[in-house]
Amino acid sequence: MARIEDIPQPTRDAVLAIPCPSFETTPFVAGRPLAERRIAIVSSAALIRRGDAPFAFGSAEVRFLPASVPTEDILVSHVSINFDRAGFQTDVNVVYPIDRLRELAQAGSIGGVADTHYTVMGSTDPAGMADAADRIAAQLAAEGVDSVVLSPV
Amino acid sequence: MIEDRGFSTVAIASVRAQAEKTRPPRALWTSAMLGRPLGEPNDPAFQRQVLMAALRLLERADGPVVLEDFESDPPGASDRPDWRAPNVPHDDFATELAALMPVWEQAKARFGRTSVGLGFQPPERWAAFTDAFLAGGLPTVSGLDTAALALRFLCDDIKALYGEAAQAVGPAPSAGQVDRWFWHETAAGKLLNALRLVALASENNALKTVGGRFFVPAIYVA
Repeated sequence: MARIEDIPQPTRDAVLAIPCPSFETTPFVAGRPLAERRIAIVSSAALIRRGDAPFAFGSAEVRFLPASVPTEDILVSHVSINFDRAGFQTDVNVVYPIDRLRELAQAGSIGGVADTHYTVMGSTDPAGMADAADRIAAQLAAEGVDSVVLSPV
Repeated sequence: MIEDRGFSTVAIASVRAQAEKTRPPRALWTSAMLGRPLGEPNDPAFQRQVLMAALRLLERADGPVVLEDFESDPPGASDRPDWRAPNVPHDDFATELAALMPVWEQAKARFGRTSVGLGFQPPERWAAFTDAFLAGGLPTVSGLDTAALALRFLCDDIKALYGEAAQAVGPAPSAGQVDRWFWHETAAGKLLNALRLVALASENNALKTVGGRFFVPAIYVA
């Protein structure tokens, strides 16, 4: 469980000690009804395609993950070893819910699934990630995607 | 940062305290354990509920900060008393791994995937590679830049293969059952602790760093 009291020590203290950024602005973008929105996933699990180099520790890069990449070819290269791995070993949807997103689109609950999704290394200071955010925003705009779900690991 | 660029965002949050500090525009906290924020593996109905609850926050207009809690805990997080660990000998890593290979093949067939592959070498080479480290060598592997990275991601692959084999047949064990089996009962768990000590004693600073931080979770350091 990720109730803070259920995380074993010393991981609990480490999690609580992670510096959290504060932001000067509080943007809040309204949009169309959910059933009309195209959704992209941004995963902080440092996902890679099988055969690609793992993310480096502290990397501020973003990698694009085409929706067409089969889930069996997606690996998790996040640096931390203090989270469960048994879950995504058998079902990557626990960190990258691409199949669930497709099902919601098929059911008409959302308007559609983006052609491209995005992945970064969690535990990285977002102060250095402006370029990554710019690249994500440019691709979202190019694909006509208006909304993003951020998924941790 | 993405919202600042004109797109609606919603975050799934595993640690509520972090969401309270960072104050993203919209966040859904779930009690799912670290590593499986959408809930239990192979439980699409529950995963869909979590995802849909998060996506519904995109329609909220009462910002600039919306933080909600998901209504229920994921099912199946408890230990399964009817789970049985793979029946393999634990004499040494090479013997244990060889015996585990057919079980791992069963797991791959069952789930249609494997998370093994970060280390750029097949399981058949793992025992010789780790033996070289234990003997004081710094072997490398094509695809990764340094000996430290080669060993760091080999450790990930060893844990992945064993974790998948533990789920090859029968009921799904809890995450804790998989971890306790690996770290307390297997030769591989003992090997990773031994590699950690060798790394910490190394004069190679990169190896010292990754060995100290990324081989063995703190609660399983022997």
